Amino acid sequence: MSEEQRMYPGIGRDERTTFAPYSAFDIPEDLRELHGQYDVAATAKRVRNFRYTHEWMTMMMGGWLATIPELPVKTGLGKLIWESAQAADELGKRLPELRAGRNPATASQASNQGYADLIQNIAGPESPDRTIEKLTGLCDVLMPHLIEVYEVTMRETDQICDAPTIELLDDATRKLRRHVAWGKDVLDRLCDTDGRRDRRVARTRDVTAALRACGGVTGDLPADAG
Amino acid sequence: MKRFIDHQELARDSRFVRQENTLSTVMSELPDDVDKVVEVFEAFDPMIEKATRGTSAEALYDEYGPSFALVAVNDPLKPTDSAVKTRLMMRMHGIFVGELQALEGAGRSLWDFPDAPWEFKMNMARQCWDEARHVQIFEKLLDHVGAKPGMYPESTFLFECACSDDPAMRVAGVNRGLEGLACDVFRDMIRYAEETDDEKMKQAIDYVLADELTHVRFGSEWVREFTKGDPEHYERAQDFRRQVDKQFSFGGSRSDREDAAIPIATEVRKEAGFTEEELSELSTLSADGPSRVTIKAAAKILRERHKARVAAREGAPA
Repeated sequence: MSEEQRMYPGIGRDERTTFAPYSAFDIPEDLRELHGQYDVAATAKRVRNFRYTHEWMTMMMGGWLATIPELPVKTGLGKLIWESAQAADELGKRLPELRAGRNPATASQASNQGYADLIQNIAGPESPDRTIEKLTGLCDVLMPHLIEVYEVTMRETDQICDAPTIELLDDATRKLRRHVAWGKDVLDRLCDTDGRRDRRVARTRDVTAALRACGGVTGDLPADAG
Repeated sequence: MKRFIDHQELARDSRFVRQENTLSTVMSELPDDVDKVVEVFEAFDPMIEKATRGTSAEALYDEYGPSFALVAVNDPLKPTDSAVKTRLMMRMHGIFVGELQALEGAGRSLWDFPDAPWEFKMNMARQCWDEARHVQIFEKLLDHVGAKPGMYPESTFLFECACSDDPAMRVAGVNRGLEGLACDVFRDMIRYAEETDDEKMKQAIDYVLADELTHVRFGSEWVREFTKGDPEHYERAQDFRRQVDKQFSFGGSRSDREDAAIPIATEVRKEAGFTEEELSELSTLSADGPSRVTIKAAAKILRERHKARVAAREGAPA
């Protein structure tokens, strides 16, 4: 080595290290830009809204198990319940990181009363002959809506500052897609007559209308959206 | 969706037939007295007959009368027993519907107690997934032993006894009473699988048993948590668990007695967090009930009377 390599900077201007300078934009190239649509408080509110939904989805699916006669639906929901609870748990853990408190009782928040009513409406079908209504509200309407809002949130939030939220929404979205696909398979099988297909269509229409009317999970969905 | 449902509201597909739960309750109170056992089973004969019609238990009823259930439940599972295949299928079916009801019980705990701590909901959500897998596992094990869902009548006794409206009692009943019973039954099934070199059954049930230990631990923790600072409430939860344990002993079939069909899995229960005192109590309260000698004598009388009745109905001499 012709020139002595300096490992650590000294106090004199000639005492710099010999390592080449790279900025955050160089290796690998980072094209992400700072600043997203949501500040810390807005993200915390969204996370509380999302957690509210996952907590209630967990509870409603638990309640349904006893009143669903189709065995594969009962057993299939078991995994959805656990994954929905895990999503709620991860969202709840994010809140203290967003300076939004550690009290689990305030970790979930409906965007508005209309959304809280919508969740009870989706949970509502009770008798054993209403599996189609149960799954349609959840898997055909609510879960696809969550996927859509999570994707928007992941795209619009600050990609670097809010990366932990993106990570957990990415995981939740991946699992929600699986849940929606499962629900579609089950509903396609259950809706094997025109009458049953009509029930699915009617339930989709009713729940979608209620979802639009309340502005969805975050309360700010335009009434004419999706 | 309402909070708290009755056991009769548990939804099943068209394969299933339900059995009245009264008999299970009465069985837990039977004395060691042949005449009394005969009297009770004769009183329940029409109900037992009705529940067997259209199921694989129908042939057993026709052959043995109302005592078929008594013998099936109270005899240990032995590979050398000539009726072992039927007995195994009946026990496996009983476990299968027990898992179904445990799944439903855990699910209802999520819905029935919306204000419960989040950690409780997490535990119950995990239990839902576990019990759902157990239903899937036992559906496959039913197939493995040549049986199928709905083959025998289902008693919803487990759900009825364990699902209290009080959260401390619910976890005492479901997570400590019902899941504790599961520990006993699964330990015995593993013993049977070892004796018959059935590796598939042994491994699957050993995994299920591991899950059940976790569920018992959930129960132990949440009974303490829900009754914290309220010794009277804690004692009521313990009383409820004792009552459930008594009912789930099926008149001594599950006990420490030498002639028990299902021995108490003491070591497994200790691992799950049951105390020495609780195990001693369980041993005492499950020990009552008719002995196997009494049951066999009662079953013989019941079978003879059943045959006589059938013969009389058909107009032939008894």
